[in-house]
Amino acid sequence: MKKLYSNKWVIFTLVLPGVLVFLFAILAPICLSVYYGFTDYTGMSEENFIGLDNYVQLFHDSAFGRSLLNSLLLAIGFICIQHPLAIIVAAVLDKLQGKAEGIFRCIYFIPNVISVAVIAYLWKFIYNPDFGLLNNVLKIFGFEGQVNWLSQQNAIWSVLIVLIWHGFGWGMLIYYTGIKNIDPVLYEAASIDGAGWWTTFYRITLPLMKPVIQINVTMAIISALKQMETVYLLTNGGPANSTQFAANYLYQQAFKAFKYGYGNAIGVIFIIICVAVTVLLNTVFRDKQEA
Amino acid sequence: MGGTKNEEKLIAALLVAAMSVSVLAGCGNNKKESTKTDADSKTNTSSEAGNDKEDTKDKEDDSTGDEVTLKLFSNLPDRKNGQGLVEQMIIDEYMDANPNVKIEVEALDEEAYKTKFKAYAMDGMPDVVSIWGQPSFLDEVLDAGVLAELNESDYADYKFISGSLEGFKKDGKLYGLPRNTDIMLIYYNQKMFEDNSWEVPATYEDLMTLCGTIKDAGITPIAMDGGDGWPMACFLTDLLVKVAGTEHSNIISNAISTGDFSAPELKSATQLLVDSAAAGMFQTGYDSQDYGTTQNLFTNGQAAMYVMGSWDASMALNEDIAEDIRTNIRAFTMPVVKDGKGGANDIAAWNGGGYAVSANSAVKDEAIKFLNYMYQPDKLSKYGWENGVGMSAQDQSEYMTGNETELQKQIIEILNNATSVSGTPINDCGPSAFKTAIESEIQGVSNGSTSVDDFLTTIGAACK
Repeated sequence: MKKLYSNKWVIFTLVLPGVLVFLFAILAPICLSVYYGFTDYTGMSEENFIGLDNYVQLFHDSAFGRSLLNSLLLAIGFICIQHPLAIIVAAVLDKLQGKAEGIFRCIYFIPNVISVAVIAYLWKFIYNPDFGLLNNVLKIFGFEGQVNWLSQQNAIWSVLIVLIWHGFGWGMLIYYTGIKNIDPVLYEAASIDGAGWWTTFYRITLPLMKPVIQINVTMAIISALKQMETVYLLTNGGPANSTQFAANYLYQQAFKAFKYGYGNAIGVIFIIICVAVTVLLNTVFRDKQEA
Repeated sequence: MGGTKNEEKLIAALLVAAMSVSVLAGCGNNKKESTKTDADSKTNTSSEAGNDKEDTKDKEDDSTGDEVTLKLFSNLPDRKNGQGLVEQMIIDEYMDANPNVKIEVEALDEEAYKTKFKAYAMDGMPDVVSIWGQPSFLDEVLDAGVLAELNESDYADYKFISGSLEGFKKDGKLYGLPRNTDIMLIYYNQKMFEDNSWEVPATYEDLMTLCGTIKDAGITPIAMDGGDGWPMACFLTDLLVKVAGTEHSNIISNAISTGDFSAPELKSATQLLVDSAAAGMFQTGYDSQDYGTTQNLFTNGQAAMYVMGSWDASMALNEDIAEDIRTNIRAFTMPVVKDGKGGANDIAAWNGGGYAVSANSAVKDEAIKFLNYMYQPDKLSKYGWENGVGMSAQDQSEYMTGNETELQKQIIEILNNATSVSGTPINDCGPSAFKTAIESEIQGVSNGSTSVDDFLTTIGAACK
């Protein structure tokens, strides 16, 4: 069997489907995007080569700048709010044991099971200034007036809350699995040595969770960059692009504004940013591992 | 050892063969599929044959020309109310009258429709499609040559309102037919007005004052769908009509062709919109609320007025709306503004939506036959009127029954008394990049986060 796997024809056969998928489903569309990014293609008529015009326009486009800033805010939100909470909840769940552990694990994961469309509409109603849950709860506590949760000033924070809440279950579950894989003997030894809950968490759980944290943080940042569906359904980037994200803006430009060439230019910049961020993260984590 | 080596070679060969077979099988299926699709498109049947034998049989049946499948791509997903119901009624009638014709409907809401329309434009369009006779939609579509030319003289007896076909033409050739005459209206709850002794405003200043009074009473003055952008752009068009009068269309076309939106009339109209929003004319969070939420505010009695087009006149017949509200829905047009050139009867109205036939339809003749059937005056026009979906683009006078709702009678009166109509609203007058820009930026200017000058500069840049 070992020899079979070293047969170059077998290797070729096993690798070929993956290579074909990569070539035709990933590399070819990227090459086409690069090409169309240099044109004024509308998606229907003939394209004209316009050089770097799309890219020049893109660097002066405030809506695109805003969309990148929003992705950055979301990534910070994921790393500084969602993930610390997810680690703590995972650690607490691990300590709960028994039925409660299973019940709470399910409860925290429920938002991930619900469809994005339902989530978006649910929060639309929660945020509604006239009959939304949030303002009605505020009224119970004596607050007069209506808070406009999706106003131009507040909308991005309201959207971030939804996105952080929605992705919380996945993060928590991955951390929880990581914690479960830590050898319980270490905790027993720490307990015998008189270590408290915090010391155990800080000295044993966190250091052993590093590989899981690295994967989760990388996934969170990529997910912040490619955020689209929840924003599209919740605010569609509005009011006035205040909740715009790169993927949604790409969609609007390519498919609503008939600026297919411009949309492809956004796509190319988007790919470059994603690759750069991934390389950067890998470098940062590799350095830490080596250190 | 030699035997083991041979076995390994055999397994390796089998693996390669299995891979090759699966790849070839995939190609083979594709070939069969594409042949079948070709057969479908040539013979116009929706074959669901499960094997080759049945495929062949279908092809033989189809070659007689008996069975025809028309694909209709519609922007009316609600098939039980309003315009979607009317469209479905005509489809059902056509299939009853022509048993050999099967019409398959694919219906999506407007935004999803426009996105998929573009995909279809690249890969092959369904036979009959919904279109909009406005530059923001039609210019690129006609440039791509995906719509079939229609013979205008065929429609001489179809009683189209004068000028209603113009938006569907390019270089004098007709490519589509209009369905509605859309009028921008301010719907109001008559009972609420009477109970509170509020009067229908005669001027925009009166409207502002009235909105203040309504707001003080704890009710939302006007429900505005600001989340979508286009209703506010239509509202702005209406204001511009009142500010600039019949000159407004020249002002818009000049601005779009030059990218210079600094005309004082454009500034005044935009400033009025900004002042109105700042004074609390619309509901809190209007700039993020969608069509359904906004309409619900009005139909649930939480808002006294509602800005929307005449296509929403079917609210008066919608039994999902409480009777005391449904029967009390009335409408008025944008009141005159101080020092404005537009009179009370210069209205914002246009012939927007309609239908066209695909240029590459394999069943073009049948598609045009169906299109013509839809537009027979006793079809779209009559059924539309009976179902209260607003004004048709054809003369409807002979279908008046005397049982029209008060709202319908008001709308007829508004149209009959009109001294001028605006034509295409401002957001649909330019290229689609301009439409996208104005519908997004108008949210920012109305809520005060962008200045009027910046707004006008930004939308001007989108025209260049």
